[in-house]
Amino acid sequence: MILADFPRSLAILLLRFAIWIAPQDTHDWGRGMLSELNHMEGNWSALLWSLGGAGVLAKHAVLALILPGGHRRTVSSASELFDKELPMRRATLTATAACVAASLLFFLAPVFRQAFRVSLAQWHYVLYVRAPFTEQSDPVLKDLLRKAEQNHDAEALAFVALRTWDRSESARLADEAVRLDPNLTWVYASAGTFYLPSSNSDCISALEHWDPQNALPHLIVAQEIGETVTHSKEFPLGKAHPNPGWQDAMEAAFQSPKLDTYVDLQKNLDRRVLARYHVDDPFQVVSYGDWYGLPSYASWYSSSYAESLLDAGKSFEARGDRKAALDKYWTIARFSQLMGANREFFMRKQLKEAYARLATLSQLEGNKAGAAYYAALADQLDKSLEDRLIARRNSYLGSDVSHWNAFLVRLSGLLILSFGALLALCAIGVVIRSRSIRLTSLRPSGLTLALGCVAAVGALLASSILFASYWPYSHALQRFVSAGDEAGLSDLANFLGNSQLPLGSGLRIGSWYVGVGDTVFYFWFSVTILCALALLIALVRHVQTRPRGVAA
Amino acid sequence: MKTPRLSPQTLLLLERFIDRPTAWRYGYELSRETGLKSGTLYPILMRLAKSSLLETKWVTTEDGVPPRHTYRLTPKGAELARAQQTTSPSTATARTAGRARRPAFSGGKA
Repeated sequence: MILADFPRSLAILLLRFAIWIAPQDTHDWGRGMLSELNHMEGNWSALLWSLGGAGVLAKHAVLALILPGGHRRTVSSASELFDKELPMRRATLTATAACVAASLLFFLAPVFRQAFRVSLAQWHYVLYVRAPFTEQSDPVLKDLLRKAEQNHDAEALAFVALRTWDRSESARLADEAVRLDPNLTWVYASAGTFYLPSSNSDCISALEHWDPQNALPHLIVAQEIGETVTHSKEFPLGKAHPNPGWQDAMEAAFQSPKLDTYVDLQKNLDRRVLARYHVDDPFQVVSYGDWYGLPSYASWYSSSYAESLLDAGKSFEARGDRKAALDKYWTIARFSQLMGANREFFMRKQLKEAYARLATLSQLEGNKAGAAYYAALADQLDKSLEDRLIARRNSYLGSDVSHWNAFLVRLSGLLILSFGALLALCAIGVVIRSRSIRLTSLRPSGLTLALGCVAAVGALLASSILFASYWPYSHALQRFVSAGDEAGLSDLANFLGNSQLPLGSGLRIGSWYVGVGDTVFYFWFSVTILCALALLIALVRHVQTRPRGVAA
Repeated sequence: MKTPRLSPQTLLLLERFIDRPTAWRYGYELSRETGLKSGTLYPILMRLAKSSLLETKWVTTEDGVPPRHTYRLTPKGAELARAQQTTSPSTATARTAGRARRPAFSGGKA
């Protein structure tokens, strides 16, 4: 019975809502439609009747937004017969105020403020303000630098130096940090600044002196020579650089007993500075293009030099000098061990060939165990490659969860802004309509109230989604800063990387890929169209309200 | 005062009104007689009223039942309806048009 009456109840509800949002001069008509429902036989007929009537009233509600109310004639009112409007209006106002208050309460939570800032990162591309961690004018860094200089805090200065893209400023900050604390000499070679002070040989000398066992300073020297000599022309792929200085630097690097990119030192420094200065900007934590990965110079030039070692080894083999050839191949194998997991990507071809040559030479010298060992290493290289490629791809692209969460964060941030703007417009409209800012004098129309209520509820929902979507990443950040737990950092980096892209970019529809530039273009195109529409409506209103001359 | 452009649906409605020119008619009753849906009927009624061709009144039919909105042609409306009736070639055309898919009239200058 209840189910059978549902269409009629829905019809009544629909018409009541339509009357509520409709302009005052159409209320009688709406109530007329509503009263007819009492005389209809079928429930579904009542619903159809209501749908048609509600459509008429909704059209008038929309027209009332565009055309001035005074332009329409007011039909005689029978409001005294219907007293149900007032409680509905009051309840809606209460609900709207409660939702707005609840949405604002979210901002009291530091996690939510952080999430909201992350959701705003997508606008950097759209508004061409700045992409996160790619500009020296980052206000967080500027504030941190001011405090660091005041406190003569070497670690904080190093922290800023690692994130400052201005070469001279980064070098100055690094010098100052090392002057205050010589244990920070590694800053000269860190992933973020390796190319910045490259022209400063003092930095490299200091680094060599501070950590003489490390291959890294030699790789920096090779990088510097490589960039200088091959400036404006392509570096010959797979060929050793002809420059003797470059050869010497690479030889020294390959002979070094260790290769330390100071990843752990940098992580610890980051944690201490973030905690000390209460920096809650997650972009500062993952401000490394490749999360503590091997710098490009160590990979590109290493494979080139390994290629030259292979050539030299083969020459020695041809001349019958197996010992010298073995030495060359071992050098490749040993340095690849120093490179760690990245060797598969940068030196796989050379390493595999070196292992194969080592196996062959061992066999020739009667070392069967050695030959089997090197052959196994070569096989293992192939087997582990696929797994490592998948892991590497996931590391770069991120999981589906981080993609989805980044989408939710961007969408909810956008909705919060949109609903906030709608609420503000409604408030301004009510004040203009009432010609007063006193609360007791404000008389919002039904449509304004409905829009305001929808915006308030929407803002509350969007705030909840934003909070829930970001919370795991905030938790991961906190775990890293407080306990050094790096479990969630990769996901955090992927999440933040996706969060910076404007909403809608990165989509693939068939063969059509929506890039960042496309999204920015369509955004400004839509803004232009909307502005033109708004101008048109304003003109229509002006023409409608313009006083007309009375015919004689 | 503007007079609405008389669409086939409007003519059909006027025809129903002119059958009993002095009687107050209900919306649902008119809908059933003309076959016009509420989404078509009410815009016509509203525009006729705006053009002073139609008058409206709230009536209480019985206790406990909400009052109903009723409609009747004004003398000017009745005059227009009669004039249209004489110039209209066939009411059958209008009756057919009442069930057509085209929307109701839009306002315009007489």
